[in-house]
Amino acid sequence: MSLFLRKWMVALTGLFLCIFLVVHLSANCILLLPEAVARGMYNAYSTLLRESPLIKVVAYALYLSIILHVVFALLVTIRNRRAKPTPYAVNHHGENSQWAAQNMGLIGIFILVFIVVHLANFWARIKLGMGEGVGLDAQGYVDVYAVTSSLFHNPYYVAFYSLLMIPLGFHLHHGLKSSLKTLGFYHRSGLRVLARVSLFYALIMSVGFGVIPIIVYFK
Amino acid sequence: MRVRFRIWRQDNARVKGGFRDYEVDGLNEDMSLLEALDHLNEQLVLRDEKVVAFEYDCREGICGQCGVFVNGRAHGPHANMTTCQLHLRSFADGDTITIEPWRAAAFPVIKDLIVDRSAFDRIIRQGGYISAKTGTAPEANAIPVGKEVADRAMDAAACIGCGACVATCKNSSAALFTAAKINHLNTLPQGKPEQHRRVSDMVQQMEEEGFGHCSFTGACEVECPEGISVANIAEMNARYLKAKLFG
Repeated sequence: MSLFLRKWMVALTGLFLCIFLVVHLSANCILLLPEAVARGMYNAYSTLLRESPLIKVVAYALYLSIILHVVFALLVTIRNRRAKPTPYAVNHHGENSQWAAQNMGLIGIFILVFIVVHLANFWARIKLGMGEGVGLDAQGYVDVYAVTSSLFHNPYYVAFYSLLMIPLGFHLHHGLKSSLKTLGFYHRSGLRVLARVSLFYALIMSVGFGVIPIIVYFK
Repeated sequence: MRVRFRIWRQDNARVKGGFRDYEVDGLNEDMSLLEALDHLNEQLVLRDEKVVAFEYDCREGICGQCGVFVNGRAHGPHANMTTCQLHLRSFADGDTITIEPWRAAAFPVIKDLIVDRSAFDRIIRQGGYISAKTGTAPEANAIPVGKEVADRAMDAAACIGCGACVATCKNSSAALFTAAKINHLNTLPQGKPEQHRRVSDMVQQMEEEGFGHCSFTGACEVECPEGISVANIAEMNARYLKAKLFG
């Protein structure tokens, strides 16, 4: 398999996941509204997502993207390790490159752990009906808000969730700009704009996802 | 000035190597690092020991022959510089200077600090040239080339093939070298007729040589003596895609 195919798969799936995160964060913002409004909106929104056939297709694309992103990143890493079998005794790569860029795999492992726990807490319970049952709200919608709110009132979960948004920020900062370069975006001044857009995007995602559980906890 | 050299010694690619320490006195800060190694080798000859093998040619920062990993950086502690331009004034009296050969599966050690970079030659052989018979030097303005195009081609053509990009890359990727060679020719009108075949074949060879993927850490751009931009790699990626779709 060509060097390019592997990297393109990581880049394309990564970009799709970047778009998904924007939609996800927008939905999370509903949690910042007063509880009376937020519960109805959040549950109606999640019901809409579960029942839409279009979203069903997007959801499968999302699961596939996560799996392919991990598998191809692993293939890339294996090839890279083989290409540099002997490490340097002294290596000051911190002087010529950013830490996140050098450690995307390690950061990715933290994010994968987060995704597994996150899916077990929400997706497995709501979608697969595993674990404790989920009740209905006053409108008769599945009360996803109650599940989210109870988890965001657990200090250990909030700490776990918010802290792991830091590696997510680092991963997105390097990942967004790097994936576009992998796909062939090379316009010189455009690349300077891309670097700033990646930083802005990573900050919004990392701070947005990280702060919402803390605000809900203290609400 | 006195320094302690910690130097990788290895007889050939088949045997294991290791570090050896050498205390060297009588140096001065205006000596280049390579001159300090010459000084060490003179002492080793007098002691009837094997000299440290290291590569060099012009010692003027032009040829790309010298190249070692010095104290954790390709070509030493400064950005965009060759090893031969590194002087002892960059170190303090009594410092330990650790010198290692370029590390990459595609660059096997020949001896001590010398590695085999012929993988680069094989990449060039796949299209790092224009196959038209050129005859004698043509009239310079026979094919008009815009200033911006000429500048971009020249920026890429500045690559001296030293291998610092591969050496510093955590994945030992040769993407910067290959991209520089492809973009140099594909940017110019003379390179256009063979552009798709060039990018496909050179990238294919890069892959066969066992280099790793480009992760866009940007380390290669910092260590490249010519400061060749990693944007060249993104440009190569675009050219490769175009070659596969339309070539």
